[in-house]
Amino acid sequence: MSPSALLVVERLSKHFGAFQALDGLSLKLASGEILGLVGPNGSGKTTAINVISGVYTADAGTIHFDGQPVGGLPIHRRAHLGINRTFQVPKPFKGLTVSENLEIAAVYSGAGRDEIGKCLEFLELAPLAGREAASLNSAQQKRLDLARALIARPRLLLVDELAAGLNPAELQRMAQTLMTIASSGVALLVVEHLLSFLRELTSRVVVMDAGREIFEGPLDVAARDPQVIDIFLGG
Amino acid sequence: MIAYTLLAGLLFGLYFSLVAVGLNLVFGVMRLINLAHGDFLMLGAFLAYGLYTAAGVNPVYAIPAEIVAFVLAGIALYYAVVPRLLSSRDPEMLSFILLFGLSQIIEALAVIAFGNDQRAIPATVFGARPVTVFGQTFPAAWVVSGVVSAAAILAVYLYLYRSRLGYATRAVMASRDEAASTGINVHRVSAIALGVGLALAAVAGAFSPFMLGSIEPDMGIRITTVSFAVIVIGSLGNPLGTVLGGLVYGLGLMLMETYFPSWADMLPYVLLILILLIRPSGLLGQRVRLA
Amino acid sequence: MDYWAKGCGLPRGGWYSVGVVALFIVLPFVYGNHDLLFNMMMYLALAQGINVLFGFTGYLPFGYVGFFGSGAYGASLAVLLLHLPPVLALLVGAVIAVLLALLLAPLLRLSGAYFAIASLAASEVVYYIVSNPHLESLTQGPYGISLARAYDADASYAAMVVVLALAFGVVVYLRNSHLGLALQAIREEPVSAEFAGVNVVRERTCAWLLSAALAGLAGGTYAWHVSVFYPKSVFDLNISVFAIVFTLFGGVATLLGPIVGTLLLYGLYNWIGISQPEYFQLVFGIVIVMLVLFLPNGLASLLRRVNVHVP
Repeated sequence: MSPSALLVVERLSKHFGAFQALDGLSLKLASGEILGLVGPNGSGKTTAINVISGVYTADAGTIHFDGQPVGGLPIHRRAHLGINRTFQVPKPFKGLTVSENLEIAAVYSGAGRDEIGKCLEFLELAPLAGREAASLNSAQQKRLDLARALIARPRLLLVDELAAGLNPAELQRMAQTLMTIASSGVALLVVEHLLSFLRELTSRVVVMDAGREIFEGPLDVAARDPQVIDIFLGG
Repeated sequence: MIAYTLLAGLLFGLYFSLVAVGLNLVFGVMRLINLAHGDFLMLGAFLAYGLYTAAGVNPVYAIPAEIVAFVLAGIALYYAVVPRLLSSRDPEMLSFILLFGLSQIIEALAVIAFGNDQRAIPATVFGARPVTVFGQTFPAAWVVSGVVSAAAILAVYLYLYRSRLGYATRAVMASRDEAASTGINVHRVSAIALGVGLALAAVAGAFSPFMLGSIEPDMGIRITTVSFAVIVIGSLGNPLGTVLGGLVYGLGLMLMETYFPSWADMLPYVLLILILLIRPSGLLGQRVRLA
Repeated sequence: MDYWAKGCGLPRGGWYSVGVVALFIVLPFVYGNHDLLFNMMMYLALAQGINVLFGFTGYLPFGYVGFFGSGAYGASLAVLLLHLPPVLALLVGAVIAVLLALLLAPLLRLSGAYFAIASLAASEVVYYIVSNPHLESLTQGPYGISLARAYDADASYAAMVVVLALAFGVVVYLRNSHLGLALQAIREEPVSAEFAGVNVVRERTCAWLLSAALAGLAGGTYAWHVSVFYPKSVFDLNISVFAIVFTLFGGVATLLGPIVGTLLLYGLYNWIGISQPEYFQLVFGIVIVMLVLFLPNGLASLLRRVNVHVP
């Protein structure tokens, strides 16, 4: 699938002081595909998202998006190209209203008023459109974070721990939402602790440990892999 | 000449460490910049001046009164505003603005109480004879100020590293939340730290007539900025790092005054900007930059 | 997006600006204290300049007066050394202020209180350079500037009316434009703003330069109006402080907030502040403390609580 891959990450490394957060990570992801990224705490999952989205610059390695090297671009340039993300702790513009939160991204993606309206409907935020973002509860802020990313019209969406703190009904709907987004052709890289949630989304996962990939393949096979079992139980 | 400059720089460096160490202690514990720091120093100076003019009290003997008065003031100030601020949406910026307002209030009250005149305590209070240190002769007041400063910083060290309260204080500095979860009374520890911080400023104030020039109600903001420069040069949030900042600043100031006197006033500001931009962690640690 | 309200020909807030500017055109004919009116306009313009930076982007520029002072000196030296007519000299003052802002743009990398103090330090550095006796041949050092030959009370008043209109224009534009919304996004959450597509470094620098240009214009016009001044009086920290507190008091990131804040507090200053500055300072300090504790978003938030839109 390599020629058609939307995202090609090769031998990415990143250290913080003496801590090697990423140690030669490689990934490939095609449009419309959902890839799960799992691993114990500190294994480098969030760092991977931060480096691919441009929050951090890698020490070594390359990131190609749609055939183009993007590793040196600032965040907003990557956002214009179609790389976007959500945050583990959502970061909406708290003092602005829900619809203003989306209008900002719409300016740069060219999304119109009706697209904002549809997005608000899609993420069940329409009744809250005029509310200040700070007044939303955490599940609503997570959906707003996702809406802000969607309005930027991403082709690659990096999703960081979206399930944490959601109740079972919300989880069910969130899984549906992510499936719908992927089926429209967006590539999704999903960092997730909650494996039952991930299982609903995709069969393909990459398991990380100490900044490296130790397993790639179906989630069910991963669950029987001795090395994977070892890091989850022993680490 | 150079030996004199270096020794004078050492004395002033110790003194500037004392001027700034309270600001750094408060920053370390509460992560807020006390913009009224210099105003508390000014109040300490007026207290020493008042005791001297009313009863002829030598500034050295005024120290206990300074400590008692300002520790209590700090504790009261803490409980009056800080818990409320910490629960707001943007504690850093709001506390900064609030303390600026407090600085305005203190300055205004000082003018109302003492007038706008410049005050001084005669340096002869420590005896008229200059003191000779390593073959160089200095005004007695400089040497006394340097010795008091060194003693005060030693006391800060003993408080932080050799007492139970200091152990708890350092735990709060490392992480407010974790300290609270281990059962430390974070508010009590912080209130005392604010009190100690203000008391250190006030003690420095008692010696300001000899080291910083005459006492005036509007001296506060300048001293706050200089103190901030000193702690940024050393290390924000690390009280003992202040000593390094103080010595660098004191030596720099003396060298400037010897060789480029008309540019010496700019020194703290230039140092502050350069350090913030080039090495925001100071000479010892701590990040302050966004992007 | 209906940023531009329909049917009235002017964007939201536009009519208020026109009204206030018109007031300052008419008032000199019926009220004799023109210096008070001039200073009022100056603080209205400076408060809006602070608003552009602090209100929209969250950077608190304690050293804002540095741009005011460099505008005053830039314009004055353009008159004295280049023999430019005052109106052109004002533009030189603004350009000097903008160049200074460009030089200081790296300060924007600092966050919160660090930026505030660093900008204060920067304005002090500029002050010490300008007032240094070694530069007497260029800046007259500590002895100040005299523009006696260019003095023109009415023309400089008119110039300040234009500066005020410009300041209002900038804020009305920001209140109603994508740039203003992007700046507020940067204030709230810079990283999310980047992911929304905002070039954070470019936009915040843009606000910084705009804000500096307004202060430079105001400073140059002030220099022309008073025509004799000392470095201490145009680099006086109180100028920053007044403009900041007026803006905070009324409510940041609105057009009306700084207007109301300036009219009330500068009015108060003229009532008790000139004869007894310490009592004004006391009231001023108490106002700041009360604002932070009880009304951190200024008077405008009172109206928002009862669902009144503040332009």
